[in-house]
Amino acid sequence: MHIILNNNSMVPIYEQLMDQVKNEIISGELAEGEALPSVRALSGELRISALTVKKAYDKLEEEGFVVTVHGKGTYVAATDKSLAMEARRKTVEDDFAAAIRKAGSVGFSKEDIMEIVKIILEEY
Amino acid sequence: MVKVENLVKNYGNFKLELSMEIADGRVTGIVGKNGAGKSTTIKSILGLIKPDGGHVTINGVEAERLSSRDKEKIGVSLSDSGFSMLLSIRDIICILKKMYPAFDEAFFTNSCKAQGLPMNKQIKEYSTGMRAKLRALIAMSHGAQLLVMDEPTAGLDVEARNDILDMIRNYLREDDKRSVLISSHISSDLEGLCDDIYLIHDGKVVLHEDTDAILDNYGVLKVSEEAYEQLDKSYILRSRKDSFGYSCFTNEKHYYAENNPGIVIENSGIDDLILMMTGGN
Repeated sequence: MHIILNNNSMVPIYEQLMDQVKNEIISGELAEGEALPSVRALSGELRISALTVKKAYDKLEEEGFVVTVHGKGTYVAATDKSLAMEARRKTVEDDFAAAIRKAGSVGFSKEDIMEIVKIILEEY
Repeated sequence: MVKVENLVKNYGNFKLELSMEIADGRVTGIVGKNGAGKSTTIKSILGLIKPDGGHVTINGVEAERLSSRDKEKIGVSLSDSGFSMLLSIRDIICILKKMYPAFDEAFFTNSCKAQGLPMNKQIKEYSTGMRAKLRALIAMSHGAQLLVMDEPTAGLDVEARNDILDMIRNYLREDDKRSVLISSHISSDLEGLCDDIYLIHDGKVVLHEDTDAILDNYGVLKVSEEAYEQLDKSYILRSRKDSFGYSCFTNEKHYYAENNPGIVIENSGIDDLILMMTGGN
């Protein structure tokens, strides 16, 4: 697993950790059934508190990405990747919708919005 | 693992009065200014001083009544005590072997070598960092379930501090029931290690919080005087007047970020916690 945490970000550490593990699961880098590092091992490696790692693992379990076998460890669950991918796409769509609402509220026309998107895409 | 209930200790004008708990498998940190009562708390937990009131129990046994058997399961590193300066590591190994049936000689010698501690030199010739590493390794040498460390990183350079923190992390990795109680002045040391933090001030617990909650939810808002008047102060713990207006310490920085677009919020660490919660108004 390759985890990069930003301590200066407003995004909570456990969320950063969750997102990156999720990405690795969705991209297939972490295969189904593969064991995640133990809570203590990962907290030692990343130099964060064990509770933070545990919180991330617990939430990942809630969302069905991993399963924890008591006394053994945490493993990548058998997830439907297309479903996970779909959920990701949905959040991006939501972000677009929010941006468009915001643009509408300050009086941007459809053309203005398209123009901005075009410019951003060119720079991308 | 450790329960401190209504502990009271009087030293002239100073009165220590607090309760705390260290759960199995937890790393608990104590922070506070000099003279806040950190060392007194630690000494009471170890049964080194007799409290004037309250109870300290370790795994259900009163601290003062711990048998030598029970004490073997505690690893201790205090800032102002240790073996005679005239001894070498070789001498210390002989003593530890007799003191602790569970002393792990292979682990101890290998760790000393890995940390570059010479086996035959007298400790008085060691540098400050080497002595601190030796103290930490002695505490970890006998498979203790509880590690109690008073300022293990005080006065050390950043590399030696990291070495000691990594030793603690490795010690924890061995067995997930192991617990650590650690005090420090260097907040960043604790931020990356502890599960929860007690802030002690004037002999009392001012705040007890999980480390990740401190790092994720606490912050310092910086606002002008006019903005301060308007500010919803429901989640402001302390405010301090500054040259530009007010610094406000909050435990809900996301609430302010959402409701006050453009507001300046700095992530806070344990240092801000100490400064804001033990000073200001």
